[in-house]
Amino acid sequence: MNKPIYIHGCGSISIQPTFAADFAFDTVRTYTQNPIAALDPDYRSLIPALQLRRMNKSMRMAIFASRMAVQHAGGMPIDAVIAGSGLGCLKDSERFVEMLLAEEGETMNPTPFIQSTHNMAAASIALSLGCKGYNMTYVNNANSFESALLDTMLYLGEHPEQAVLLGGVDELGERSVKFWELAGYLKGDSSEIPVPLGDAATPGEIAAEGAAFFVASQQPGPTAMGRVTAVETALETDDPVAFIDRFLHRNGLDASLIDAVFLGYSGDARYDGSYRHVASARFSHTPQLAFKHVLGEFDTVNALAMACALQLLQGKQIPDALRVNAEKTDRLERILIYNQRRGSNHGLILLEQ
Amino acid sequence: MIPIAITGMGAISAIGNDTAEQLRSLRAAKHGVAPISRLDSPHREKLMAGEIVLDNPALYDLLAIPRDQAYTRSTLLALVAVKEALEMATVDPRAAPGVRTGLVSATTVGGMDATERYYDDYLVSETHRHYIATHPGGYSAEQIARYFGIRDFVTTISTACSSAANAIMLGARMIRAGLLDRAIVGGTDCLSRFTVNGFNSLMIYSDGHCRPFDENRNGLNLGEAAAYLVLESADTAARRSKPALAYLTGYANANDAFHQTASSEDGEGALLAMELALAVAGLHPSAIDYINAHGTATPNNDLAEGQALLRLYGSAAAIPAFGSTKAFTGHTLAAAGAIEAVFSILALQQQLVFPNLNFSQPIASLGIAPQTALEARSINHVLSNSFGFGGNCSTLLFSNAHE
Repeated sequence: MNKPIYIHGCGSISIQPTFAADFAFDTVRTYTQNPIAALDPDYRSLIPALQLRRMNKSMRMAIFASRMAVQHAGGMPIDAVIAGSGLGCLKDSERFVEMLLAEEGETMNPTPFIQSTHNMAAASIALSLGCKGYNMTYVNNANSFESALLDTMLYLGEHPEQAVLLGGVDELGERSVKFWELAGYLKGDSSEIPVPLGDAATPGEIAAEGAAFFVASQQPGPTAMGRVTAVETALETDDPVAFIDRFLHRNGLDASLIDAVFLGYSGDARYDGSYRHVASARFSHTPQLAFKHVLGEFDTVNALAMACALQLLQGKQIPDALRVNAEKTDRLERILIYNQRRGSNHGLILLEQ
Repeated sequence: MIPIAITGMGAISAIGNDTAEQLRSLRAAKHGVAPISRLDSPHREKLMAGEIVLDNPALYDLLAIPRDQAYTRSTLLALVAVKEALEMATVDPRAAPGVRTGLVSATTVGGMDATERYYDDYLVSETHRHYIATHPGGYSAEQIARYFGIRDFVTTISTACSSAANAIMLGARMIRAGLLDRAIVGGTDCLSRFTVNGFNSLMIYSDGHCRPFDENRNGLNLGEAAAYLVLESADTAARRSKPALAYLTGYANANDAFHQTASSEDGEGALLAMELALAVAGLHPSAIDYINAHGTATPNNDLAEGQALLRLYGSAAAIPAFGSTKAFTGHTLAAAGAIEAVFSILALQQQLVFPNLNFSQPIASLGIAPQTALEARSINHVLSNSFGFGGNCSTLLFSNAHE
């Protein structure tokens, strides 16, 4: 079993102004479009302009969020970088395919090819920090962030004195969005943020993008926000309730000991049933929160749920905009995140004070 | 630490459709690099690559997959290699109750071969739209897991050309941490116009056969391959009286933190990875009998890797027999670390060092020469390097015994 890890700092970018210091989902931006691009922070405040010009969106989101996280952690030295990204640098991938379809056989610009590589975000972070340690990138669809988190716990178990920069990042690509429409993944005319959930849900997702990075170690510290005590994934599960029960049991818990649960409702009527099932079977007396109805859907969006859960562990009130039910609690010491996408890649993250 | 036994391996590459064929080709110095014949590209018949003989319809039939289902070539190749590995290990994940079995797969191409083929077609025709879902790198591992019934853990790694080495490492680490009992680990990448044009645009694609570690090397040949290993704790293997093919005794990943694509001239990341892997195994560099180098035959890689070997060993004379097998298979990207893991295990089993083809003149500034002929010798430990874009450097150590 992995040992708990402390999170000492975090930074994030999304379609909500999550990069703002005081943002806590008290008011959320509304949209009536699909897809939705991430809001741009003042990138130049943390990334030199010359470097910024050469970075694609994944790289700039990842570097900005990771610098925020390191700053927040008091400049803690980083020994390793572990990232998740479901689709990698999508725009440069599209750009290079378009170039080769048009100019194959002629001299081609290699930059989009280089920057299409899935590990470019984690590599640029290492380059920008001068970090020569372990550097890993997981590309496992909606379990990409959990894989990175699991590896972080494993790595810190092997290197208890070190600190890891951990995160998830995904960007949109114009042609890919067209493909997702054609494949029936996306909502059409009814696209709005916040996405109506429950009986008002319609088929389809709202495609979005973003990044969240964290500084993690096995040691407590002055900026520690909370601990990740367990993570688990399952490509498929016959019964999400049993999946959660087994996970909690392995960690010496049951559902009554969870103070709040984040459920990955995307408002896609076809796939949100697993959350409703889990909510009614195990968490009917627990405050239930959603996050994808305000952040949109992308493979690593659960990294942003983790950032939000850490805020709650630090004493922030549960924002009304995220509430799915009306249950109240005076104790927020243990939070569970359950997410899946289109019925596959189920993930559980357990956070404790 | 829990010893990691390798109880099965499977491989498909330009030099063979299974492990036995790989060995036959390695022994006969028979490479698989030839002018590109299958890829629909202006580079066909011009650039050289290591293509696998079987085409997609043949792979579908071999795997008994209905032709109307969407499987891209990387996944089909992976299924062939995993099948062989599981058969060799006499393991059926569906019939292994109580044995926590995971899949850690690596790819960089993912479903890009379908995306580049149908990029405009998807917009106007429904015929191939079922391939849209195959694009993400992680989709391939999902299909592999479903095909073989691997349920306990599935993930995908993509760190460019070191991807498979990192997948092998994660499987071993999860077993050592008690999270899994058995792991199927490796990587797959088919040839694609995306990667051929990518490396060609970087001006590191050779106009002939690649010449690893040669003074006049002028770039790589790409290849396609899939290779997977079955790893289990030595206890799990012993309980079912399954002898190990070899043991994975060391592994490490480090970052060069120097440049997006180029390696530092002093081979810093490579040196760190080798040193850390030796430390995990508790071995001195002098214990290594054969080094399966990354050796892509790009001017930059071979110089940096050679420099790292010189720094690790102190002098050219102290470096053990080393060479690159890329001239046999081409550079198979996310499969390279796994196909070369299979070659490393074959070297241990056969007590053979495989030749580095197409070499004639040592790199002047290094003065080191790779092994050029097949040679029988006593081999207890093999070190295998895999380096990728983003400064990603990985080293694996394979041994005959775990003590």
